Amino acid sequence: MSPLLQGILTVVIGVGGCIGYFWSSNLVLDKVLFPPRGPNAGQNINRANAIRPWLFLLPAMAALGLYLVYPVFGSFWRSLFNRAGTDFVGAGNYAALMGDSEFRGALFNNFLWVLFVPAASTFLGLLVAQLTDRLKWGNIAKSLIFMPMAISFVGASLIWKFVYAVDPEIGIINAIRDTFGMAPVDPLQVDFWNNFFLMVILVWVQTGFAMVILSAALRGIPEETIEAAIIDGASPVQIFFRIKIPQIMGTIVVVWTTITILVLKVFDIVYAMTGGNFGTQILPSYMMEYMFRDDGRATAVAFVIMIIVLPVMVWNIVQAKREVH
Amino acid sequence: MAAATDDGIAGAKSGLSLVTNITVLLLVVLWLVPTVGLLVSSFRDRDAISGSGWWRAFTATSQNFAISTEGEFTETPDGWTLTGNVFGPDGSGDVSAFGGRRSEPNAFAPGETGELVRGRTLTIEANGDFVYVDPDEEEPSRTPSLYVATEVPPTFGTDNYETILFSNGMDRAFINTLTVTIPATIIPILVAAFAAYALAWMDFPFRGTIIAIVVGLLVVPLQLALVPMLKFHNMIGIGQSFYGIWFAHTGFGLPLAIYLLRNYMVGLPRDIIESAKVDGATDFQVFTRIVLPLSFPALASFAIFQFLWTWNDLLIAKVFLPSSAESWVMTVKIADDLLGSRGGDWGILAAAAFVSIAVPLLVFFTMQRYLVRGLLAGSVK
Amino acid sequence: MHRTLQTLMAGTAVGLLAAGAAMAQSHGDFTVGEGEFTWDSYQEFADSTDLSGETLTISGPWTGDEKAKVDIVMAFFEDATGASVEYSGSDNFEQDIIIAARAGSAPNLAVFPQPGLAADMASQGLLTPLEDGTAEWVAENFAAGDSWVDLGTYADESGEDQIYGFFYRIDLKSLVWYSPAAFDEMGYDIPETMEDLKALTEQIVEDGETPWCIGLGSGAATGWPATDWVEDMMLRVNSPEDYDAWVTNELPFDDPKVVAAIEEFGWFATNDDFVSGGAQSVANTDFRDSPSGLFEIPPGCYMHRQASFIPAFFPEGTVVGEDVDFFYFPAYEDQDLGQPVLGAGTLFAITDPSDAATAMIEFLKLPVAHELWMAQGGFLTAHAGVNPETYADESQAAQGEILSEATTFRFDASDLMPGEIGAGAFWTGMVDYVTGADAESVAGSIQDRWDALN
Repeated sequence: MSPLLQGILTVVIGVGGCIGYFWSSNLVLDKVLFPPRGPNAGQNINRANAIRPWLFLLPAMAALGLYLVYPVFGSFWRSLFNRAGTDFVGAGNYAALMGDSEFRGALFNNFLWVLFVPAASTFLGLLVAQLTDRLKWGNIAKSLIFMPMAISFVGASLIWKFVYAVDPEIGIINAIRDTFGMAPVDPLQVDFWNNFFLMVILVWVQTGFAMVILSAALRGIPEETIEAAIIDGASPVQIFFRIKIPQIMGTIVVVWTTITILVLKVFDIVYAMTGGNFGTQILPSYMMEYMFRDDGRATAVAFVIMIIVLPVMVWNIVQAKREVH
Repeated sequence: MAAATDDGIAGAKSGLSLVTNITVLLLVVLWLVPTVGLLVSSFRDRDAISGSGWWRAFTATSQNFAISTEGEFTETPDGWTLTGNVFGPDGSGDVSAFGGRRSEPNAFAPGETGELVRGRTLTIEANGDFVYVDPDEEEPSRTPSLYVATEVPPTFGTDNYETILFSNGMDRAFINTLTVTIPATIIPILVAAFAAYALAWMDFPFRGTIIAIVVGLLVVPLQLALVPMLKFHNMIGIGQSFYGIWFAHTGFGLPLAIYLLRNYMVGLPRDIIESAKVDGATDFQVFTRIVLPLSFPALASFAIFQFLWTWNDLLIAKVFLPSSAESWVMTVKIADDLLGSRGGDWGILAAAAFVSIAVPLLVFFTMQRYLVRGLLAGSVK
Repeated sequence: MHRTLQTLMAGTAVGLLAAGAAMAQSHGDFTVGEGEFTWDSYQEFADSTDLSGETLTISGPWTGDEKAKVDIVMAFFEDATGASVEYSGSDNFEQDIIIAARAGSAPNLAVFPQPGLAADMASQGLLTPLEDGTAEWVAENFAAGDSWVDLGTYADESGEDQIYGFFYRIDLKSLVWYSPAAFDEMGYDIPETMEDLKALTEQIVEDGETPWCIGLGSGAATGWPATDWVEDMMLRVNSPEDYDAWVTNELPFDDPKVVAAIEEFGWFATNDDFVSGGAQSVANTDFRDSPSGLFEIPPGCYMHRQASFIPAFFPEGTVVGEDVDFFYFPAYEDQDLGQPVLGAGTLFAITDPSDAATAMIEFLKLPVAHELWMAQGGFLTAHAGVNPETYADESQAAQGEILSEATTFRFDASDLMPGEIGAGAFWTGMVDYVTGADAESVAGSIQDRWDALN
């Protein structure tokens, strides 16, 4: 039971500590450092207000800096050294990666994942969102489709192992093939396409996410716009493509990017389903092979992932800047 | 509701809505099939799972059994004869086929006299009575094995769940998961809420730049952090421990938390906040008394995300928690212990999977309306 | 942990117990002082060791049934010393132990299934050498003791050889499991030579049946069962000297001799008619699941080549010797390489020194530490001082016989190779091979990976 107690204690200390920090630092600022009275009252208020945002931001920025910003540079630096971390090898690890056919395969597969999963999830999510909009039992349908979101990737992999099992008495795909008299195949070993069978798992999980957001966006479209189109004689299909889609384009892009980011982080599915065998390796699981054995290589792989997401990152930043101004 | 807008095209409506209904139904079924398969299997035992697919779990299935006969041979004109009942002296059953060797367990129909090797014959009646005759001169040294097929009614039980919950250390893993999850959900929310407020409602230099950095950090792959952060934890003396994983989850969860909360807070009505300030409230008071309560949907939606994420995480737990059984969380327990020792035992694996998703499902279904509300503020502009 | 107070019964037990020990502990089916076990030295150890209040943490690869068995052995250590033992088994032990050691949270002891991995860690300074005199003790008290000393001796950070590993439990790999009833009904004889085994394989196919069950699946370690096949074949087509050179990479992985051994394995595994489910199912069938074909009616297969530990994964209630039995994986008659036997073993090494860790190594020197697992089945030992009558059944005694009749004994090569080869490239290479790549290119890419290490 001790870890549970430890956990409760941490919640209390952590929460209390956070609140205590914010409260007492504010107090110190207002009462001790720059009290809003006496001859410099006005000046003090201004000074306090200039410092306060940084007090609010400090814990978050410290954590962000330590866990995300520093690792980006720290990992890059580490990736320039050999496996033991003793000798500087420059781009040696990157050159070694490029020369490794497994890495090239993983890179290629990762591009497939990045292209297919967000596209398929967003498309299916939009489809379901649009179709359920008109149904009485639409909310039930949406809940059921959203359910896989709550399942861990390890759990989802177990679920799909059942679907893909070779034994036609266990795997439903081979059972269906069996009824048509076809020999059983192992979907996870079908060259090239096995990647897509793995992606299907993530699509299965993420469609619900896309659906929820897009469904809400569709409802946000002003009714008058659609009514006007109906009066003009537009068909439902035309309404959907000409009016609704352009209206929610911004949301579609957000959903798309969110899923893209997720795709680059997921290693559990490949790890649990194939262990990277049969030509299904992707970068996150390839990295696991080297991590803590050859940190130089592992951090180089992590940095390659970072480079892949860089365009998404830049795009996000540009968007955010535009919003702020 | 959009349904009202269809009235203008009533003619096309019924046909279209039928197609819609069927399409959605198909999609829902497609989405549910994998989970249902696992759910059904979690109530079946190992033999039943490998014997027949879960879609046939509710009907009786034919299974083959090997029967080691016992008893004494008696000498008859035909040869050495052994009689008895395959279901034992007191048992009963219904034989649908039988055979004399393992490779052909269904060679003969009940009541038939089957010819076996070396002139031996075997007859088994539907009720299980058998007559085995060996024409050899010497009395056979051992009694034969017989093979019969019989219908087995479907069986379901909670044995798998009992095994998982009571005898396998899963209870410990469950508690560990909670121990990781709860602080790792609450702490980042608090830290992020203050930061988000500052970024939404306070004026200071570099505000835009900081927002942009946070947005940029949203996409940093956390794999980058594993090696340097474990080293760092080592250096400050917490090594692999619950403290480490709480800090790690906090760090990795912050960008999304700040991003979601700021977007939500920015949308709060400006006059409420400004009038409070005019009344002399400090930023701290405005934040705790007005902004925080109003932001509840966004807080809840991030809490759900962070909860699901930490509950379902495997990677961070593998790296930042000790690899001893007493600190395993459920995902590690399933991946490293159950898949290892029970690799072939689908029933146990299925039950384990359901135990691990029960809590997230519960949280999800009770909180899902907040999820949508909180997210919308962030993404729909 | 449970202790039971038992009234001492009259009989031999009393004589064996040291005076003053009024409490007889029992765990599982075993009670101190009862049975054929060597309890004397256990009592001496218990009387001279007191570690009350200390905790000993151990990580190892044993999970499930095997964990239950090792827990019983550990319970006797707890009784003897007063220390409490926390053993954790993981399917991904190889990965976990490296992360834990690097994070400074290594357990006191680690149970390595692979000397290669232990050697890696020793060279990084992550292991502590065993006490002086351990090497001499092992050389004296283990059968073929010197070889076990060699297998447990690695270079430390400064390149100096020290003894780090204490072998506890040996697996015999050159075994083929079969159902005696199925063989009997089909009229098959146990093959004495590799030629016979191949002929039998073809015979079974002619009879319309499937001869072999092979499964390489093992989570992150998928592929390792194939390395055992290749090693066994290596010993059957090449000399033991070639085998030793292969382990150290003096004989390159892509040498025609190695490629020939891989192709010998391929003769069995890549033929759709020879393996249950067809060649495609080999790579993805879990090794724990793969022997189940032997027990199906009608049989899914007739033979399964796997090490002596595999009965732990047979269906519940299976009796080895009745429902299932084994024979020696035979050698080629025309190759004149004798009767080679492949084996492996797990070794204890100290990852975080403590008195309790040292005491555990002392405990493992006691015959009873070995006998307690021998009696639970699935355990062979090199310890020469154990009472063979404690073996759980005759079949284990028969395995001991195969071991003693061997003209050549070699340790599992993949376990001796550097971790990235033996627990990495070799595994994945074998998966590539059974899924269609040709032996030469697979061997070539493994050699490339090895070159990159040097």
